[in-house]
Amino acid sequence: MKVQATFMDRKNWKRLFSLAGVVLLFGVLYLFDRYGSLYQVRILNNMAIFIILAVSYNLVNGICGQLHLGPNAFITIGAYTSALLSMSPAEKQMSFMIEPLIWPFTVLQAPFLVSLLAGGVVATIFAFLISFPVFRVRGDYLAIVTLGFGEVIRVLCNALQGLTNGPMGLKGLLPYTNLWWSWGVAVFTVFVTTSLVNSSYGRAMKAIREDEIAAKAMGVDPFRQLLLAFLVSAFFSGVAGGLLAHLITTISPTLFTFFLTFNLLIIIVVGGLGSTTGAVIGAMLFTWGGEALRVVESPLHLGFVTIPGVPGMRMVLFSVILMVVIIFARNGIMGRREFSWDGLAGMMRLGRRG
Amino acid sequence: MEDSFFKLDRLVMQFGGLTAVSQFSMELQPGELVGLIGPNGAGKTTVFNMIAGFLIPTSGRVIWQGEDVTPLPAQAITARGIARTFQNIRLFTDMSVLENVMVSLHHRIRAHFWQAMFGLPAYRREEQRIREQAMNTLQELGLAHLSEEKAGSLAYGQQRRLEIARALATQPRLLLLDEPAAGMNPQETRELAQLVRELRSRYELTVFLIEHDMKFVMGLCERMKVLDYGVTIAEGTPREMQSHPEVIKAYLGEPKHA
Repeated sequence: MKVQATFMDRKNWKRLFSLAGVVLLFGVLYLFDRYGSLYQVRILNNMAIFIILAVSYNLVNGICGQLHLGPNAFITIGAYTSALLSMSPAEKQMSFMIEPLIWPFTVLQAPFLVSLLAGGVVATIFAFLISFPVFRVRGDYLAIVTLGFGEVIRVLCNALQGLTNGPMGLKGLLPYTNLWWSWGVAVFTVFVTTSLVNSSYGRAMKAIREDEIAAKAMGVDPFRQLLLAFLVSAFFSGVAGGLLAHLITTISPTLFTFFLTFNLLIIIVVGGLGSTTGAVIGAMLFTWGGEALRVVESPLHLGFVTIPGVPGMRMVLFSVILMVVIIFARNGIMGRREFSWDGLAGMMRLGRRG
Repeated sequence: MEDSFFKLDRLVMQFGGLTAVSQFSMELQPGELVGLIGPNGAGKTTVFNMIAGFLIPTSGRVIWQGEDVTPLPAQAITARGIARTFQNIRLFTDMSVLENVMVSLHHRIRAHFWQAMFGLPAYRREEQRIREQAMNTLQELGLAHLSEEKAGSLAYGQQRRLEIARALATQPRLLLLDEPAAGMNPQETRELAQLVRELRSRYELTVFLIEHDMKFVMGLCERMKVLDYGVTIAEGTPREMQSHPEVIKAYLGEPKHA
């Protein structure tokens, strides 16, 4: 009985710690919101959006172990859906110069929250439709099908001028996305995804990753579990797409190429494939590092030699980092481990002793 | 005929031009312990794969409790109460021993995924129940003290036991064991035979097992079937099989006459 009580106690303590962590996070965000520069706020917003994207992408790639290469498709769908819903009819009429916007969207306008949710829902519907061909295959084939889907969506964005305004994209979105929206959704995503991963559903997903044949023999239906992960992932990718659109305020098909997927892949591999904590750390390092590494793109003066700045040099560096991680530290920063208060306490105890 | 407990009706499996199993028929009564033996490549595992839904036979039927389950996928077969282990151990190596067993209870879960996502009480109660059930199964197989270890780090004999634990946790009525004693030493083999006997009576299981180790099968099974090149060459009690000329021929080859 007593053991039971202390066990419950510890659980409550951990919950309290987590709550305190979230409060602290929002306290820091408040300070940045109030006293930080626009540039810092911008980086923090990006960070939150990439956390959402990486955590949801990791659900399919890391937890289920399926090499899915099409998250950019769902981000695109979410971004366009929420943009079309949040823009005012007058703004839309001005934007669509070559071909007028098709009917329901000309008159529709929704609050930001509704437009974000709609972005997520529409992305989920597309994910559902594509899931049947996607999960008929595995491995490289699954990668190719999802990669192809990402390209199809990009090409459609260029071609369906009456819906997306083609290559000109959508302009003049209101900058609704602020620190509260982006970090609010990020915290929610991390909470929900972690609960799912640690549940029986998450165990079934990991079982498929470990050995799909054995998982089937234990009564796990691989299609249903993979579909669940895929849909949840697509929903949050769509919402993040909406947040991204209202952060940049201008979206066009060039924003959502395979390059975006590639960046997400770097994030989750460096963070540790299969670890939600790793995905969060990877996303933070990526967005912060991306800015810090701007140095390499500006001209460098070394006494009498001047190295001219090469635009895009950051991306070369990122690729090198990815290669180094894959060759020398295949498990990334976290491996498959997760952050826990117990783990932190253990580390602190070790530190004190050492 | 359709009301039989478990019946294999003239199963045939062809891979291209090769007939791996031909006209395999048998019937099991509840509570029986039956062995399937035969030399390497005789088609024993193929028979298991057809029963467990990993292969769909070229022709023939699998009847389980009056239902034709031949075309069903593996997960549906397991849900109906037929569980199997694998000859080459297939554990979820990066998951803990307890988690390995808990996966087997997932197909009976009632709570929806969104209840799990938000950690609602309806889900948490079920998680607690799954955890306790899995722990009980581990206790029965003497693996409880290893519950938090990674499955991949267990010793070979323990991994074999965990395979059985995982299959048992799906709550089967028919248990298919694919070479459970492979690679075990005589001591471990004796313990395993004892364990299989115990589990059968405790869970009212019907056991159908493939084995190479003749001594193991002879001591354990009440009835057996011998397969060679996909063809049933003999069946009967272990004693009958020991002296059956066809069986001796299949295992030792034809006697050479000078």
